[in-house]
Amino acid sequence: MGLLTILKKMKQKERELRLLMLGLDNAGKTTILKKFNGEDVSTISPTLGFNIKTLEHKGFKLNIWDVGGQKSLRSYWRNYFESTDGLVWVVDSADRLRLEDCRKELSALLLEERLAGATLLVFANKQDLPGALTKEAIKEALALDDNKSHHWCIIGCSAVTGENLLTGVDWLLEDIAARIFTAD
Amino acid sequence: MLGFILDCVYTSFLRYWLKWLIRHATGTCELQRVCSGYSPGATRTTKAEYALRSSKSRVLRSALEARKDNLKECVGQIMKEKDIKPEKDPQFKENLHTCLLQITGYSSLFKSVEELRKEVFSSEKVEHEAMLLKLWDLLMPTVKLESRITKQWGDIGFQGDDPKTDFRGMGMLGLINLVFFSEHYTEEARQVLSHANHPKLGYSYAIVGINLTEMAYSLMKSGALKPHFYNTALGTPELQHFHQLYCYLAYEFDKFWVAEEPESIMQFNQYREKFHNMVKADLEDPGVSLTLTVHS
Repeated sequence: MGLLTILKKMKQKERELRLLMLGLDNAGKTTILKKFNGEDVSTISPTLGFNIKTLEHKGFKLNIWDVGGQKSLRSYWRNYFESTDGLVWVVDSADRLRLEDCRKELSALLLEERLAGATLLVFANKQDLPGALTKEAIKEALALDDNKSHHWCIIGCSAVTGENLLTGVDWLLEDIAARIFTAD
Repeated sequence: MLGFILDCVYTSFLRYWLKWLIRHATGTCELQRVCSGYSPGATRTTKAEYALRSSKSRVLRSALEARKDNLKECVGQIMKEKDIKPEKDPQFKENLHTCLLQITGYSSLFKSVEELRKEVFSSEKVEHEAMLLKLWDLLMPTVKLESRITKQWGDIGFQGDDPKTDFRGMGMLGLINLVFFSEHYTEEARQVLSHANHPKLGYSYAIVGINLTEMAYSLMKSGALKPHFYNTALGTPELQHFHQLYCYLAYEFDKFWVAEEPESIMQFNQYREKFHNMVKADLEDPGVSLTLTVHS
């Protein structure tokens, strides 16, 4: 096997995935992104527009899009749907008042045709806060069991401590990889 | 690589010999030449800071960490160490003292800024709540806030019905900056708000403000603001100097955004970065002074 063939083989293995991270404002999307990337999370301001980060994880090249969640920005979410492999829905588990709002936004997203093939990971974030609901309660409130259209999983996590972020992303990658890479 | 080696050789050998030579030729030490050769401001203070930091003498280096009320004493010790006679160089004492006030003042100002940033906005604190309501009254004098939790907050560019979560990373520093701008430059702040509420070119006024506080904070933290403060505060810089800088950023960013006509608010981070780079470029100029000047 020549050098060129080895290089070619390596190139094929370079697997690129596109992840879209959405959720209401103040859910913790940017904090999750930065914590996952090993950056400082103590000085984050509300996101206007979006952040994008490209990082390597478990042999995948991940393009993670973190789009601002405030109401006036939600109409722009659709601009980021195209070729999304995984949707990460982030929930502030301590924000009981807006859970209904959160359910509505998510169920509208799941009807989107351009997200039809995407795997759904729900992060029940802020588990470190005393008033946080458990992931079971969040699952209930978002009526996740009714979702038959997407592969999905809910993980309780804390972006501030980093707890369970890896578990969630690893599950997501495994599910996506099983869907799209096993064919070849 | 070569540059790095040359730099090392210079700082560890050449600089020392060169200074020794000049010292014997002119009878003055580096600090004296800096203090008399440059007019007050960033050039003089930056050079003095460099001279002190790279000095072989502990007396000189420790002056950089001294407390404000010990600085006069430090100057005395430095003059003794360097054998500087007041009668030969009468200005030196005062000049070096001013430099030291500026240098140590920058670190203590950063400490105060950091404290305010770490102070979390809390609805239980009467003064926090009062300040938030004051922001509303200053910006929207003719509209009454219907209740504390209301969609109206969106009119001055907060994300949701309760602004408190928007202060997250920047804490009270974000709110105090917003209030300072509205209070000291009321007309300008309202004008910026009206641009922010433009149906096509608009942006979220308060959220952009908090993002600009983050910009000011990170510039402060990295030391990039030193030349600005050395030029504008001829003594110890205070918190109000930091708030003034925020006002400059808020006013200038608005002008920049309006002139650039971005396609939508989704482009905010690209334009923020572009603006950030412009400010950093301005700060490279030793004569920099980022002060808000109002064109009438």
